[in-house]
Amino acid sequence: MNIPLNIDWQQILLHLFNFAILAGGLYFLLYKPVKDFMAKRESYYQNMDNETKSKLKEAEELKVSYNRQLSDVAQEIAAKRTEAQKAIDASREEQLQQAREEAARIVETARVNSEQEHNKMLANVQKEISDLALTTTEKILLKGEGSPFEQFLNAANAEKRGEPDA
Amino acid sequence: MNKTKKKVGLIVWLIIVAALAVACVLTGLGGEKAETIQETMRDAVLHETNRISLFGLMDVNPAFISGIVVTVVLLVAAALIRIFAIPRFKYVPGKFQMVIEQVVSLFDGLAKSNSPWRNGFLGAYIFGAGVYIFVGTLFELFGFQAITTNGTSISLPAPLSDVNAAIAMGGLSYLVIMSGGIAGNGLNGIGKTLKEISLLISMSFRLFGALLSGLLVTELVYYYINLSFVLPVVVAVLFTLLHALIQTYVLTMLTALYYGEVSEPSHKEKKKVKSKAEKVQSAA
Repeated sequence: MNIPLNIDWQQILLHLFNFAILAGGLYFLLYKPVKDFMAKRESYYQNMDNETKSKLKEAEELKVSYNRQLSDVAQEIAAKRTEAQKAIDASREEQLQQAREEAARIVETARVNSEQEHNKMLANVQKEISDLALTTTEKILLKGEGSPFEQFLNAANAEKRGEPDA
Repeated sequence: MNKTKKKVGLIVWLIIVAALAVACVLTGLGGEKAETIQETMRDAVLHETNRISLFGLMDVNPAFISGIVVTVVLLVAAALIRIFAIPRFKYVPGKFQMVIEQVVSLFDGLAKSNSPWRNGFLGAYIFGAGVYIFVGTLFELFGFQAITTNGTSISLPAPLSDVNAAIAMGGLSYLVIMSGGIAGNGLNGIGKTLKEISLLISMSFRLFGALLSGLLVTELVYYYINLSFVLPVVVAVLFTLLHALIQTYVLTMLTALYYGEVSEPSHKEKKKVKSKAEKVQSAA
């Protein structure tokens, strides 16, 4: 068959054959290896990106957790502070109470002591007064007969001479 | 280097250039043309006279020899890159690696953007086709010589400046589009592809026309010795580069676009079931 422009089926098939070899060769030698490499690199960076995102997420979670813990600790500290304040107040109150009691006891003891001292002094004074009164009485009574010592000596001399007691 | 030496060097260079120009003109005028410009241009289109023997097995058009040379060069380059460059690829690419990756990603991206649902084979095909068209078109710049069966010497043309090569490439692209239609939609895919049957002709003859025009202009320019200075820099190099890029882009883009269109899974529109209220409303 005479086709215009000298179109030749054999030549067309030869060109197809030639191109099929070229396309196949280029695919296996260049296109596929380069695409594989690019996919590998993409996967590497994708993994890195995912890992970074995951770590970032973990860090965010940790941050939230730490913030929560900090908040809890702050609350705990406040509670403990209140508790400690209460304990301090109670202790202070107790110490005050003890101090008051001690003071009262001291005051009482002092009062008792002073009373005893007072009584003692009073007794002493009374005794002194009675002694004074006795002495005074003796003095009054013994005024004419000399001193007791002289009386003793006189009595002793009289006895020695055999005279009855005067 | 002092000024005097520079001047001497410049004068010697100008004398050499002038002598060569005169020699070219003189030898050109004295020689005989093997064929007229009409014959040259007719043969560039029809390949009736200048054929080349393929290892003594058969006579083929010169463009097929160009195709084989381009294929061998590309495969050797690809093998060298595969053996020496790719194993040394790094995650942070160097200049050469970047160029290779850019070329591969260009076609891969073209396939993915035009046919998101099915693009593995398409990417590989348009990569092969694109590289073949681009390098094949630039091949004519080198002007490799071959001996025809008539005993004359011709410079090898771009592979796709032969209508048979252009038909092969266009037809194969159409078949690839159809394969995408079948893979994506079965028999409906064939129907969808057959609706675009004009692609078969348009893709083939667009390639042929674009590359043939380049060939004809180059033939015309180089046929006359007077046009062979300075002008080829613009006509041959710039135009060849330009249409190599354009034709590569056009064929790969069209193939990817139609492949995506025919392989797109069809969505059957659900018939709206009218509610009773709507029926009543429409009846009223």
